[in-house]
Amino acid sequence: MNVVFAVKQYISKMIEDSGPGMKVLLMDKETTGIVSMVYTQSEILQKEVYLFERIDSQNREIMKHLKAICFLRPTKENVEYLIQELRRPKYSIYFIYFSNVISKSDVKSLAEADEQEVVAEVQEFYGDYIAVNPHLFSLNILGCCQGRNWDPAQLSRTTQGLTALLLSLKKCPMIRYQLSSEAAKRLGECVKQVISKEYELFEFRRTEVPPLLLILDRCDDAITPLLNQWTYQAMVHELLGINNNRIDLSRVPGISKDLREVVLSAENDEFYANNMYLNFAEIGSNIKNLMEDFQKKRPKEQQKLESIADMKAFVENYPQFKKMSGTVSKHVTVVGELSRLVSERNLLEVSEVEQELACQNDHSSALQNVKRLLQNPKVTEFDAVRLVMLYALHYERHSSNSLPGLIVDLRSKGVAEKYRKLVSAVVEYGGKRVRGSDLFSPKDAVAITKQFLKGLKGVENVYTQHQPFLHETLDHLIKGRLKENLYPYLGPSTLRDRPQDIIVFIIGGATYEEALTVYNLNRTTPGVRIVLGGTTIHNTKSFLEEVLASGLHSRSRESSQATSRSANRR
Amino acid sequence: ASLDDPGEVREGFLCPLCLKDLQSFYQLQSHYEEEHLEDRDVKGQIKNLVQKARKAKNKLLKREGDDRVEPGTQGYESFSYGGVDPYMWEPQELGAMRSHLSDFKKHRAARIDHYVVEVNKLIIRLEKLTAFDRTNTETSKIRAIEKSVVPWVNDQDVPFCPDCGNKFSIRNRRHHCRLCGSIMCKKCMELIGLPLAHKLTSASKDSLSTHTSPSQSPNSVHGSRRGSISSMSSVSSVLDEKDDDRIRCCTHCKDKLLKREQQMDEKEHTPDIVKLYEKLRLCMEKVDQKAPEYIRMAASLNAGETTYNLEHANDLRVEVQKVYELIDALSKKILTLGLNQDPSPHPNTLRLQRMIRYSATLFVQEKLLGLMSLPTKEQFEELKKKRKQDLEQKRTVERQAALESRRKLEERQSGLASHTANGDVRSLRGIPPPLRKAEGWLPLSEGQGQSEDPDPLLQQIYNITSFIRQAKAAGRTDEVRTLQENLRQLQDEYDQQQTEKAIELSRKQAEEEELQREQLQMLRKRELEREQEQFLAASLQTRTRVLELREVIPFQLEASRGPHIDLSYSLDQDSSPVQSSTAPDILTPGSALAPMHLWSGPPALGQETLPQSTMSQQSDKASLNPFDEDDLSSPTEGAISPAAVEAFLGPPAAVTKEYNPFEEDAEEEEVAELGAGNPFTDPDSPAPNPFDEDDGPRPASPAAPGNPFEECPSTNPFEVDSDSGMEAEEHIEEELLLQQIDNIKAYIFDAKQCGRMDEVEVLTENLRELKCTLAKQKGAPN
Repeated sequence: MNVVFAVKQYISKMIEDSGPGMKVLLMDKETTGIVSMVYTQSEILQKEVYLFERIDSQNREIMKHLKAICFLRPTKENVEYLIQELRRPKYSIYFIYFSNVISKSDVKSLAEADEQEVVAEVQEFYGDYIAVNPHLFSLNILGCCQGRNWDPAQLSRTTQGLTALLLSLKKCPMIRYQLSSEAAKRLGECVKQVISKEYELFEFRRTEVPPLLLILDRCDDAITPLLNQWTYQAMVHELLGINNNRIDLSRVPGISKDLREVVLSAENDEFYANNMYLNFAEIGSNIKNLMEDFQKKRPKEQQKLESIADMKAFVENYPQFKKMSGTVSKHVTVVGELSRLVSERNLLEVSEVEQELACQNDHSSALQNVKRLLQNPKVTEFDAVRLVMLYALHYERHSSNSLPGLIVDLRSKGVAEKYRKLVSAVVEYGGKRVRGSDLFSPKDAVAITKQFLKGLKGVENVYTQHQPFLHETLDHLIKGRLKENLYPYLGPSTLRDRPQDIIVFIIGGATYEEALTVYNLNRTTPGVRIVLGGTTIHNTKSFLEEVLASGLHSRSRESSQATSRSANRR
Repeated sequence: ASLDDPGEVREGFLCPLCLKDLQSFYQLQSHYEEEHLEDRDVKGQIKNLVQKARKAKNKLLKREGDDRVEPGTQGYESFSYGGVDPYMWEPQELGAMRSHLSDFKKHRAARIDHYVVEVNKLIIRLEKLTAFDRTNTETSKIRAIEKSVVPWVNDQDVPFCPDCGNKFSIRNRRHHCRLCGSIMCKKCMELIGLPLAHKLTSASKDSLSTHTSPSQSPNSVHGSRRGSISSMSSVSSVLDEKDDDRIRCCTHCKDKLLKREQQMDEKEHTPDIVKLYEKLRLCMEKVDQKAPEYIRMAASLNAGETTYNLEHANDLRVEVQKVYELIDALSKKILTLGLNQDPSPHPNTLRLQRMIRYSATLFVQEKLLGLMSLPTKEQFEELKKKRKQDLEQKRTVERQAALESRRKLEERQSGLASHTANGDVRSLRGIPPPLRKAEGWLPLSEGQGQSEDPDPLLQQIYNITSFIRQAKAAGRTDEVRTLQENLRQLQDEYDQQQTEKAIELSRKQAEEEELQREQLQMLRKRELEREQEQFLAASLQTRTRVLELREVIPFQLEASRGPHIDLSYSLDQDSSPVQSSTAPDILTPGSALAPMHLWSGPPALGQETLPQSTMSQQSDKASLNPFDEDDLSSPTEGAISPAAVEAFLGPPAAVTKEYNPFEEDAEEEEVAELGAGNPFTDPDSPAPNPFDEDDGPRPASPAAPGNPFEECPSTNPFEVDSDSGMEAEEHIEEELLLQQIDNIKAYIFDAKQCGRMDEVEVLTENLRELKCTLAKQKGAPN
């Protein structure tokens, strides 16, 4: 159940099967991203792949001494490009791999285009998703829903991605879905349909306990993507944005040219791999150690390089040193920028209030704190809106709800209209009417005691007290206590034992905070393996775009209230 | 490393018994405990291995006798795994896949057949048309043959030219395509020259006969077309001027033939880049073959072993380096291919060339820098001697410890209590394995190194050792006792023998060395002067490129020769009193060490012998073990260290200040990087004689990775530290720790290169430990 490894294995197999000789990798836009997540350039160079080309690039030269490995999504456009390519082949021989199921008719039209017999292989390799971490994948779809229903194109892409994941991990799962979400049910049905249609593909060795696919909807927990994060990976994504492991640093003041864009990949950056789940303070001290380590290593000409032996030692350490200097400058820059933003945006204070809004039930203190922060000129409009959204979501039905007052405060702070509108849109997206389960007040006795004890002892770290709702869901699922009336099975059969292999998919996007939760669950519950996926991986900014794209805000509040109510009272 | 098949070096956490690759140290440990616990006979082997590895580790850490079992540091685990989730790393097979190739081929065959048949028909006809001597044959005869090849279309049927649509008339005559028989006007007519025709027909004969489709065999076509002569009516054509050496045809036929020709050209033509590239790959393969062999040789030589010949190794080194030069040259050539051509090549071609060059550079960097240097002859002699001394010392220590342990045990028969206290996991599970055969104990072969031992006495010692183990495993204490008595006698006998030999040997060596030393000192003076000049020249060269460093290496070797001699000289003096004090003990040849390990290896199940290793473990634990304390405190370190929380809770300004040292440092670093870019900028400034510094006792600076394990153990400051006990240990300076970490990293790299997996494992463990200590020290500076 390692998604990075699964994709990597596919790519390695492709390259190996093409035999020795110079190779070019022909990809489309999406598969380029898929491959770049699991392989670095120098790694793939060692396998004799020297060129990377896009199938839609017009500027390709005829190079008959190269072998072409084509890794493409089976879209209409790609098939068309490939037909053109085969009519006038530019390379000596073609190994064609589609990332998903391709229709028989497409195969036929490709075959008919191959008059010069240059095709040596046509296969389906199901690496049709972005493997972010070993337990985390994404489909990079922003804005998957229109209103509360699927955008049809995105539904089919999501179905493809999810079935490809199942095939690459060789899992034929039972499906559970979140009852309160129509989209979750729809996706579950589509996946099941594919499984029954391609039943030959899904015939795997049966495990004792069948794997489980749990489909959730983002609107059940709109809180998590709105919070500031303090663990390295999540924080980088929240403040700088991670896009296919790449971070754009071009807006950092005084950035040097070669650090405009950096890659953070746990696969080949040891420091990142060791620190991605640690919190900001720990990273601070770790990066200090890294620097000191580096300073010890770096040669000082007057002190060290005096004898030939010293030089030899230097050169022998040089590749390592060079790599290290890259790592050091990268992480120092990133962490430096993070800490700059933290102080500039007053994020420690903001985050404390956010956490209070998300985890505690003291309305008056919360309101007071939010109001105080709205007066603070250092707090950006983005953070201000974020606080008001959290307040609105939590105290939506509170008797002394003073949301209108806060909106007025926002206006007087000079927050742009588009942001102010988003407050109601978010409530529309993930408010109480929509949620299938209760986010804020604990339901069972255990949880109540827990919270009571928590209040008694005080929290360990005010900035990381929030636990994503997903944690509770998965915890119940692992213990076999997830309620069937809220998360029913698709189809008649149910799971009798506790699940072992779990794939969770969140429509509307997962977050890195949830990825951390899943990571910790994997570590602490032996025998259980969980993989988390989402239509995308959100930070607050992208989440608000998702809300905007769903188009909920444009409707009048009253009418949508009526419809969603009726939808909920089925 | 003796357990590894020399042909195949595998990396990773391999189980030494079943060679299964386990992904982590912890998994290996649990795997071992689950799977192989009952195999008592192999256990000695493992123990032996572990001991060896521990010794290597100790030497690496430059501290003596810290044989404690590593406690699992919980706090570290989370740190080390980081992004890689251990629960995810179960073996995973390749995901599902589905091939459409057969389907694809079916459809393609249908389409291709049609096309291929067409082309082949044309070529066969072309062959017939050019099979006779056209120039010396009468026109009418030619016409007849031409018409016999393909039926000509009736003139009356075609009033207009099918290609351009012009009406045929007396002016605009009809022309027949000789290949398909169709009619076109003169403007649309094409001609095929004889050379082209020959090229097409001669080359395609092979491909035709080998082609898959049965309908295309030339004979069948030939037969079917023969004799199908028809229309004699094309009078107009007869009046045409004669084409002696050309064949008329239509544009369609010519197109097909030209396409065919192009394909043929492509097949035969190999561009320069391919030729060069193939050579390059060949060289790389050669390196992949030779380099491991060389590294094995060099490691063994640097360790003072005599398994390989120094000259052979030198030859091999030169050979490998030549291949590297070739790779470099070839890739450079590829890089510059076609650069000065007039229409400069397509950017993609250039990119390809750059990438090939880049990957070749990566390859050379990675592999060449892993090549360790060889000792010079003199050094080699020294190394050999040193190794002997080491072994002797080790043996002395071991023997003493063993004797002591035995004495102690005889005093108080129940050593079990103390035994369990040392925390050896395996010994805790004191379940005796099932009884073996009752008749007697079989000698076990304990790894390859020992079974080759020529000395019959040693052989006997092995046998008895294994008997003892088997007896112990079966729980027969009385037999164990008698056997051990036996063993002791044997060993005493053996010891005496060896001592005599050794005394003789060392006398001889002393004489030899005296001679050598005199000669060398002379040589050295002269060389020093010469080298200084060379050094300057060499350092200038180094600046140009990393690759050229090869040229410096020979000088280095020479350069370091001088200090080594001095060093060993002092070593000689140091070790002479040791020798005298340990006179009753034996001087063992290389292989004799092994039985000692073995003999002491198995954990005592019976209460006769406590292996000296456990004894020393205990004593070490008591006296010097600074890490233990740290380990105890580590579990309390939760996800967020208290200090960190504090920092968080502090006023934001303070936090940012505290964790914002990067801006300044980053700047500093840039400067440093600039410096690092050309570290040799200042080659004139080194001290007048760079080698002088080396003459003193060696500093703890990273030893050349070539011979890390045997490097002058007695002069190392670390050992002194560890010997002097707790207070010294507590004050490990950060710098030393860091240096040590660096050293160990280098050793790990080295050990990996030589395939000594057991060492790598232990080293990695060690490295982690050190890092932990370092972190802790930093966390709470007292």
